[in-house]
Order: sequence, then C-alpha cells, then structure tokens
Amino acid sequence: MVKHLGIVGAGAMGAGMAHVAALAGIEVAFYDINGTILRQALERIKTNLMREVAAGTVTQENAAAALERIHARTRLIELNSSEIVLECAIEDIRLKKDLFKHLEADTKPSTILASTTSTLSITAIASATRHPEKVVGLHFIGPIRTARLIEIVRGEETNEETVRRCVEFARFIGNPTVVTGDSPGFLVDRLSQPFFDEPLRIIGEKIADAGQIDRIMKAVGGFPQGPFETMDEAGLDSILATREALFSNFAGEPRFRPHPILKHKVTAGATGRKAGQGFFKYPDEKS
Amino acid sequence: MKSKKLTVKKKQTRITKPADASAVVYIVGEAPMVEEYALLCSGRGYRVLFHCPQMNSGKMPFESKAIQRQSRPPVNTSFALELTNVDLEQKRRNLELLDKVLPATTAIVSSSVTVSATEQASWIKHTYRLVGCGALPTLSGAPLIEIAPTVFSPAETVRIVQTFFRSVGKEIELVQDRIGLVFPRILCQMVNEAAFALQEEIASPQDLDTAMTIGARFPAGPIAWAEKVGLRQVQAVLQALWKDLGDERMRGAPLLRQMALSSSWWKHSQPSSEERHSR
Repeated sequence: MVKHLGIVGAGAMGAGMAHVAALAGIEVAFYDINGTILRQALERIKTNLMREVAAGTVTQENAAAALERIHARTRLIELNSSEIVLECAIEDIRLKKDLFKHLEADTKPSTILASTTSTLSITAIASATRHPEKVVGLHFIGPIRTARLIEIVRGEETNEETVRRCVEFARFIGNPTVVTGDSPGFLVDRLSQPFFDEPLRIIGEKIADAGQIDRIMKAVGGFPQGPFETMDEAGLDSILATREALFSNFAGEPRFRPHPILKHKVTAGATGRKAGQGFFKYPDEKS
Repeated sequence: MKSKKLTVKKKQTRITKPADASAVVYIVGEAPMVEEYALLCSGRGYRVLFHCPQMNSGKMPFESKAIQRQSRPPVNTSFALELTNVDLEQKRRNLELLDKVLPATTAIVSSSVTVSATEQASWIKHTYRLVGCGALPTLSGAPLIEIAPTVFSPAETVRIVQTFFRSVGKEIELVQDRIGLVFPRILCQMVNEAAFALQEEIASPQDLDTAMTIGARFPAGPIAWAEKVGLRQVQAVLQALWKDLGDERMRGAPLLRQMALSSSWWKHSQPSSEERHSR
C-alpha cells in the first residue's frame, strides 16, 4: 500500500490529486516551484474539503486529518520519501523530461515516477531517465476528484512491478483501472474518436442531421447522450484539440483526420454550450 | 402509375391492425434477425411466416403456431421484411422472389446497411414498393428504426412502412439512403478502431471494453458489441462502406477480417489488467 505520495505541480490537477490522496489516508508531499501558487492550491483544497463537510460527504475530523497530511514543498529533494511521485505539470515534453531527470536523482531508486499526461508519450518522457522501467502514465478520466477511471500507461520499458503497484494505488484511492500501451490517445480518447468523427462525416454527407443522429444513437444504441450533445457539452475547441493531437501523433493516419465541420464551428466561435451555440443553440447559456 | 400506387397502398392499411389474424408478415433473411423480427411481429399479433436460407432444415426454437417456416412467400402477405446483410447474392434472390410472388400492393422493407435500398430496388420490377432499413442483429428491441426511402419510393410507401413499424412499437427516423445508414456505420467504425487497437496489442479486450463503458460511459464496449452483432455483420458493413466510398478511413482492420472469417473473437478469454495485477 502507498503511504507516501509526491505530487509535482499545484495546478487544478495536482490540487485535486492531493485532496483525493490525503482523504484516502496517504501522506502527501505537495510540490510546486512557486510558493504562492502552492499556498493558493492549499487554500483551494481547504475550501473544497469544507464544502464536502457542509454537504455531509466528509466528516469534520476526516477533513482536518486530510489537511494535516498535505505537506507543502518547494524543493524536489523533499519528495525523497515518496513511493510514487505523480507529475501534474503542463503538457510540455521538454519540461517533463527535465523534471523526470531531476526527480530520478532526488528520489529513492524504488520510487515510481508517474506522469498524468493525456497527450505525450510515456516512452519519450522515460527516455530522460536511467531507469525507464519505473516510469509510467496515470491518465485520469474525468475531473480528478471524481475520476471514473485511470488509464495506466505502460511505456516501452515500464516493468510489471511498476504497473502492479500503480493498479494497487489506483484501487486504494477508489478508481477502477485499465492498462494500455503507450499509443496516442491511450484507450478512451482513441476509441471515442469514431463516436465523434463518423457522425460529423454523416452530417457532412447530408445523410441525417445532428438532432436525428443524437436521437438514433440514444434510441438504437442506448447511449445516454448523442455525439453532438456530448461535443457541445465538452466544448468543440477541446474536442478539436484532442482530434488534432491524435491525427498528429498518429502521423496523419486518415482515420484520425479531424472533420472540417468541427474546425469551421470552432473558427466561428460556436464552441458548444459554453458559447451559447455549437451544433445546437443554447440561448440561455451565452455569456 | 402514381394513382395506381396510391390506390394499392390504401388497400394495404389493413396491416395496421395487429389484431387482424389475417395480416401476414413474411420475413426472409439471416438467422438472428429473422428470429428477432419474427418474435417482435408475432408478439404484436401478426401471423409470421419466415424463411432462413442458411438454416433450411430442422425446427427452429422460436417456431410456433404463430411463427411458421415457409420457403416461398404466400400471396396473402401483407408486409415483407428482407433481412440479409452478408450474402448479397442470396439477398438479391430473396428480393426477386418476393417481387415475383407477392401482389404488387405489398410493401417490402429491406435491410440496407451493406447495399443501398435504391440499388436493391433496381433489382426488382416493382421498384416503388421497396424501402431500406437499418437492421443488424440485436437492434430489433430498440424503440426506433432508421428508414431509408429510395429514389423510387413514393410517400405512400413510406407512410405504410411507418404505420407498420408503429404497430410493432417502433418510431421511424427517415435518413438518406446510404450504405451503413447512421447507427450501423458508427458502431462498425467503433468496433474497427477497437480491432486496430487489439491488433497493436495495446490492451486486452476486457480493458478496451472497461475503458469505454466506465471511461466514456458507453452502454457497451466495442468488443461486447461486436460479439452481440456478429463479426461477419460488422465486417460486411465495413467492406461495403469501403467499396462504396473508396475512403481509406473505412479500411477494416486485418485482424477483424481474419476473425470474421473464422467467426470467432477473443470471447474475453484474456485476463483484464485488474485480474492480471491482483494478488
């Protein structure tokens, strides 16, 4: 069982992870190079815990104990007692490679170094280390505090023991897991692609309109939401960014080519519910 | 010609009365779909006669007084369903026989996920009577069916078809007559991508399904869906789309083609990551 977790990066993801792990009883060394950002993140965690207390989902005692378990750190060497270090930095391959190189030097030989990247190659990140067998990806599906699933991404050199310990950690914090190879989009983003792209091609070919396709997918396929409702909710800009990353990381494989309709919508600012218009209109939502 | 069609279609409205024991639905096609639609129609009061050319001997488990086998369509058929997706030569023979034997007033709804309804209509003399539909195994229970009128279909035929499907508890969604229609096309592409992922050995079949049911909140994973619908059906839709559109994106995963030929899948035989990493 993991007793000491290191978290690198005090953005929304890092703070969410610290919150979840501390509530699960894990001692968290919470690192950010910027002390101000770190303090702000701790305040956010405190506020969120208090909300959970008010909602009755967490007791006052458990919230207080969780806060006690989060230790602010501004030097990487202070993560040296961690069994797993979870990197939650921005999606920049050079930054991550540099970070992993330093993390390897500053932590125990047995420490697992995990990245939460959603688009970068774990094998590429691991190439900056001397022990790529202990480098792994932990891709959280959904907001981190309410994640539905963790994709455990095995780099080319990641060993079984690293994967096993990550499965154990994920279970301990209450998440189901799947294990995937280091392939662009991992599993969920890649396998969701036809659910978004094929309907776009169908409306492009005027076989059916967006409303019809959503009705068909719900009534015939049993989907809780149609593809166009889902895209509008998620934001078409976000969907397009994922599609473009997949297309690029698959070196232009035609199956992943983003549809021009999606690009046109984003260019026109019709990015979904948040903009008041996407494939459907949301007159009450427009800011 | 138009006024004749109007007249004959009016006569056909009698099939909208499911309680009418004289209303006969004739179903011909591939086994799982024929059985599903036979049970659906008989459950709504129709007398069903069916023919499965691929299973020509022995009693089928779903046969009863209300559902009987008959290789030649009876002339008193009120409504005909042709449900073949894989063997298109057989489909053509089935449609030609239906068109030859059935009165010119009887509508035919034919699955059009692997060949367009318009092309099918061009195989028969009474082109106006045929309308396409989205039929794949296990979809018969859905409350909606995709209907694709052909370039020959008059509005009357579509109305009759709508009335028939309402009588068996289904709404219709009218879509353009293209191979794969909407749901079968999207579903088969999702299965195809999963087959590519399996081929690349990036995850176990179980993890692929878990990723999509839990991670993407899909009602079923692509492997489970392929098993339900049938690999040969999925492969037939993909092959037809690829042939029709000439689009590289529609290329079926080689592994899927091989599995379809052997009619087998992994059947979830490989352990999931949860099982593999349990102590």
